[in-house]
Amino acid sequence: MRQVSYPSLVFRTHRGFGIFSILVAGTLQFLVIKAITTIDTTSILPTFISQLPERFRMIINENLISQLTVEGGAAFGFNHPIMMVLLAINAVSIPARHVSGEIEDGTMEFLLAHPFGRTRLLLSLWGVTGLMNLLIVCGALLGSVTGMTVYHTMSGGVVVKLLEIGVNLWLLFLLVQSVALLASTYGTKGSRPAMWTAVVVLTFYVLHFSTPLWDALRVTTRFNMFTYYQPQKLMFGQGSFGQDILVLAVLTGICLFLALHQFNRRDIPG
Amino acid sequence: MGSSVIVVENLTKYYGKARGVESIGFAVEPGEVFGFLGPNGAGKTTTIRILLDLVRPTSGTVSVFGTRVAKDSLGIRRRCGYLPGDFSPYGQFTADEFLRFASHLRKRDAPVAKSLLDRFGFSKPDLSRKIKHLSHGTRQKLGIVQAFFHEPELLILDEPTNGLDPLMQQEFYRLLGETKREGRTVFLSSHILPEVERVCDRVAIVRGGMLVALETLEALTRKRYRRLTLRLREPLERVELAGAELVRTDGVDYEFLVKGDPGAFLGDLARLPVEDFVFPEPDLEEVFMTYYRER
Repeated sequence: MRQVSYPSLVFRTHRGFGIFSILVAGTLQFLVIKAITTIDTTSILPTFISQLPERFRMIINENLISQLTVEGGAAFGFNHPIMMVLLAINAVSIPARHVSGEIEDGTMEFLLAHPFGRTRLLLSLWGVTGLMNLLIVCGALLGSVTGMTVYHTMSGGVVVKLLEIGVNLWLLFLLVQSVALLASTYGTKGSRPAMWTAVVVLTFYVLHFSTPLWDALRVTTRFNMFTYYQPQKLMFGQGSFGQDILVLAVLTGICLFLALHQFNRRDIPG
Repeated sequence: MGSSVIVVENLTKYYGKARGVESIGFAVEPGEVFGFLGPNGAGKTTTIRILLDLVRPTSGTVSVFGTRVAKDSLGIRRRCGYLPGDFSPYGQFTADEFLRFASHLRKRDAPVAKSLLDRFGFSKPDLSRKIKHLSHGTRQKLGIVQAFFHEPELLILDEPTNGLDPLMQQEFYRLLGETKREGRTVFLSSHILPEVERVCDRVAIVRGGMLVALETLEALTRKRYRRLTLRLREPLERVELAGAELVRTDGVDYEFLVKGDPGAFLGDLARLPVEDFVFPEPDLEEVFMTYYRER
């Protein structure tokens, strides 16, 4: 009798959405490269941008016009809301479903009545969620590389930068999944920790894009997780890859430690 | 006490201000079937969860196989089989996948699983159907199989026959009998008193989080809490019987609860205009109900 392990059980539960996410992420990156290389954006966008208010014009000039290149496009794809949403859904839903969801429906009680440690359970979940998001990021990288190969814009330097962006993005969502895991270890209702984590991540995301528009928000920059993921800057050598991944890794470690601590001390169910 | 399989000492658990159990203490000896009875909310499930280290006690100690639960719960759980009261495994998996998963959690193959599956009437289609599509009774049988398949030294069963048809209940009792003969220990929580009477050696009764009785089944039923129902030819204002407590009247019908020797009230009974009376054998239900009423 071939045995079924806990990580494979979790992976199989979520593989449908995982495969969908990989395909969407890869296709999105491919289409972004295609758009950049086949549409003459430099003649369309300046007319459109000139009609915008001064403040928006400045931001768009900074973030978009200067990067209407294959490199800029590839980096933009890695910052696209679709990409963020796919990764966030995986990062939030897997821990919430398998921790607070299973505490609520009684499955956790059954699971932990076996010789299966709480630490092992949580680390398995964290690992599977991280693996799922890593596959999505790899799908996106593959889409970019395929696009650049098909449209003859491939260069070794861009691939290295894309790998850096991929690692940075993956670490950002390792942090998100660790926050979700931490919230789930406090929860007893399946959907509530997922909702709270989604609210926190969305708030940071909105703050990140609102800060350039509203000076009063600049004070939040240092505390915002999205500050440590700047794909466009990384692509053009203006980012601080080492510092960003260090901050994200440390925060991830802290959240994971707190989640393990809380999960090991709590009652099942609460 | 040193060789007891389970030792619970002065166990108290509070959930915030709500009481789970308070100052509970008992020991379960090797090879016995120990019944754990009580109404809903009495603290049965809390106690079981503490035994499995799912819930941490507020105070008191719990040892299983001579080891404190808090010290080596993994080692203890390796030697236990558990059937939760509300058995709700992964509905999206087939019964076969579920058992393979359970084998993985136990880190051992399941040579007994096949014979248990046959015994509880699992067909091949049953095993390849998703658990969420199985009937409640079939899910419960699957729960029994997963609790027994690795031949654990201690079985902790919470309402094990819940949802089983009478045929499967008989099969379960036979399995329990075999388990007992093999010298393994069973901790069984149940509401079904005939079941407890049939399979248990000793019984603990909990009520409101407290232990109200801990006796062998024999000793408990020997207490002879018996119900006497009288029908008189005419209603009387006052009916008293020595050693019996009047619990209900309805016209010419009177119901008494008799404690101790029934001979004590026979003289009084002879003086009454009795048309008919019923005085059945004492059963556990009466004992059980008496404990609930008394404390």
